[in-house]
Amino acid sequence: MLFNSLTFVVFYVVVVALYWSLRGWELRKNLLVVASYIFYGAWNPPFAALLFSTTAMDFWLGRQIGKAQEGRARKRWLVASVCMNLSMLGFFKYGNFLLQNFQWLVARIGIIYQPPHLDILLPVGISFYTFHSLSYTLDIYRGVLKPTRSLRDFILAVSFFPQLVAGPIVRAGDFLPQLEHPPRLKSNQFLWGLALMTLGLFEKIVLADTLLSGSADRVFGYAGPLVALDSWAGVIAFAGQIFFDFAGYSITAIGAALTLGFHLKDNFRFPYAAIGFSDFWRRWHISLSTFLRDYLYIPLGGSQVAPFRMALNLVLVMFLGGLWHGAAWTFVVWGLLHGSYLVIERVFRIFFEEKQWAATLPVRLIAGFATYAAVCIAWVFFRASDFTIASRMLSGMFGGHPNGDMILTTRELLQIAIVTAGLISIHWAMRADAFETTVMRLPRWAVTAIWSFMACAIILTQGSSNAFIYFQF
Amino acid sequence: MHSFISNFKQRLRLPRMFFRKPSREEQIHGGPPLEFERPIPPLQWRGITATTVIVTFVATVAWELYARALGYAPTLNDNDDLWAITRRKVQPESIVIIGDSRGWFDVDLDEFEKGLGKRPIQLAAPGSTTFPVLDDLAKDENFHGTIVCSVVPQLFFAPPGSPPMERAEKNVKRFHNQTPAQRVSEYLGMWLEDHVAYLKPDDLSLQGLLNELPIPNRPGAQVPPTFPPYFQTEDRERRARMWEKCAEPGSELAKRIQQIWIPLFSLPPPPSYIPQDVFMAKMKEGIEKRFADTVAAVEKIRARGGKIVFVRFPHSGGLKEIEDKITPREQTWEPLLQMTHVPGIYYSDFSELSGFNCPEWSHLSAGDSVEFSKRLVPHLRDALKM
Repeated sequence: MLFNSLTFVVFYVVVVALYWSLRGWELRKNLLVVASYIFYGAWNPPFAALLFSTTAMDFWLGRQIGKAQEGRARKRWLVASVCMNLSMLGFFKYGNFLLQNFQWLVARIGIIYQPPHLDILLPVGISFYTFHSLSYTLDIYRGVLKPTRSLRDFILAVSFFPQLVAGPIVRAGDFLPQLEHPPRLKSNQFLWGLALMTLGLFEKIVLADTLLSGSADRVFGYAGPLVALDSWAGVIAFAGQIFFDFAGYSITAIGAALTLGFHLKDNFRFPYAAIGFSDFWRRWHISLSTFLRDYLYIPLGGSQVAPFRMALNLVLVMFLGGLWHGAAWTFVVWGLLHGSYLVIERVFRIFFEEKQWAATLPVRLIAGFATYAAVCIAWVFFRASDFTIASRMLSGMFGGHPNGDMILTTRELLQIAIVTAGLISIHWAMRADAFETTVMRLPRWAVTAIWSFMACAIILTQGSSNAFIYFQF
Repeated sequence: MHSFISNFKQRLRLPRMFFRKPSREEQIHGGPPLEFERPIPPLQWRGITATTVIVTFVATVAWELYARALGYAPTLNDNDDLWAITRRKVQPESIVIIGDSRGWFDVDLDEFEKGLGKRPIQLAAPGSTTFPVLDDLAKDENFHGTIVCSVVPQLFFAPPGSPPMERAEKNVKRFHNQTPAQRVSEYLGMWLEDHVAYLKPDDLSLQGLLNELPIPNRPGAQVPPTFPPYFQTEDRERRARMWEKCAEPGSELAKRIQQIWIPLFSLPPPPSYIPQDVFMAKMKEGIEKRFADTVAAVEKIRARGGKIVFVRFPHSGGLKEIEDKITPREQTWEPLLQMTHVPGIYYSDFSELSGFNCPEWSHLSAGDSVEFSKRLVPHLRDALKM
């Protein structure tokens, strides 16, 4: 079920009304479990069984890790959990990709192997819920979480419908404690949640789908060479689209959770105002970057190892981060590019971190602009479906096709320019603050006007229920 | 109050991110402590919400009244979900109408039911290629019914990857992959569209309004052709009827649509990035493949006892001139009938089917579509040996 669909509107109203009208906390939790499975099963009912089996296995494995006294036994159970989760992910998400690469590899040594094409349907959001579930056993192993005794609570932690299919990646350790005591219905929290949902849907339906996606799709779908302006416009449009699409989903999820009394952490903090790539990853898809940092980068030694090893760790983590997004080498290159950016930034830091001029506003603005440009270049690999398209786009962006085609209308160029200018200005204006702080500073009439404007724009747009980009991951 | 806000700001203010090491706590939990609570801006949310609801409601009602004042009325919008729901109604022996917008506008289901003895299912879709639907029916082992297929050569032979092909493929794909949630959304959407006039994505959506902005394009820009505005109603059986405003004699809307058809149906310039001879060879190869694929699909349907008839529906004016020039009958229609051995009805071959006026050159008005369907039925019965 998509947030931007009429089915969700009806589903949400019914669930929220029932939830707050039920007296017992256990009953409410049962309702949320049923609602979450309906939400998920509305895509493809059999996949709800897969979700349940992953959850139940991790619940059992978590208990085994918790019960085991000996370090080696704990490790064995953890390895079992990691293998179970990753093999599930591997089969559904990477099955055909692995076979194709195996075919290519054996062909290099002269063996002709024709693998069968596995007709595998990718369960929606498998990358997200696998990480929700995996965080539970990992945290029990690390000693920062005790196994829950309630299977129902764990099922709810993994499948809680606002964050189930496209994040934020909510760790069991952050969610399970919220299930201990029933939340009270607080009108301000509830209404603020509704305002956040409106903002999220506005970002998705109006900004991403209506104002940007068409141009990005046409540029990346064009089979010929494009002039620099159109190439850059397409990439910048995609940079905006993916932000509004994914941040829109996250904000809607956070808002929906708030209306039910749950608190989810931020997933984005004005990423296009980042100065440097570490800063970018502290602002973009925070739940994934912190997941990779805590469960991969730090266990590999983090920043406490020799510089070369640290660089290798960074590249490895970003390589896996890229692969997490999709079973294609273009995603791997995207991840490796970000890994390289992080390494280069570390080198820069060694030379310039202490310089006074490095902290001046013009230098910070230039660094911010360079960060945005480099992030956009990486987006080319993320969006392009193959390397032919990616290289053609990059060539166009850097003046390789001065006589290339111009395919965007002036209106589309203006739309991209206005939306991107607004996006970047807002990110820079709010980069040091929480979103809530900015809202608090606004006069009441301005909050009302902005909220009304967003609601009217959503109604005017008559959205066509386009899927969120991150669903495919 | 001042100190409260200051504390609040302090609490919300994010730590400086640049060149900052994460705290020990963050390293363990990946963020704020476990008892994290989202801050709620301390504003008068009840008043703000009430005002927002009133403003939004008033603006929506005003927009609805404005839409009705412009002559718009509630009607369904055609989309892949409605198509999928209709496709699901196809039974093994159904009569199915497939093809382009002429088969969609010009067929009256009541007249077909009276004349053919069975209510047909409308699967023709505007601006779409026939082949993906024909192929889907051919692959449906249960189907051995009757197909009435509208042919507009430029759409029928549209190459893979072209918008007409993609539209048809999108419909077929949605039929096979439609989720329960999508189906429910479509039923809810139909209910809304039955009651709300402003739900007209072509004209009254944000995208439709933006498309209307008179902004000139760069010289040399290869911008996509404009598509026609809203000019038809549709019911739950996907029966399309031309909007009266378009069917009126001398209608401005009809004249506007006529001028839209000209670039849409004119041969586009070959792409700049492929040598012209290579492009032409590819096009020829594509057309030959479409002939061959159509023959294969038709044979499959016939082998199961199914029947098919091709129909060329009326078109007129400048559009007819363009079609006759770019896709002459002897190079498209005739070879199609010869290769497939399928009976065909070309409207201009029969006096009773000729002489209909297409207000915007491509489709019949709602009234004429009924009369045309009535006159077409005997020809269909002959062709299908019914």
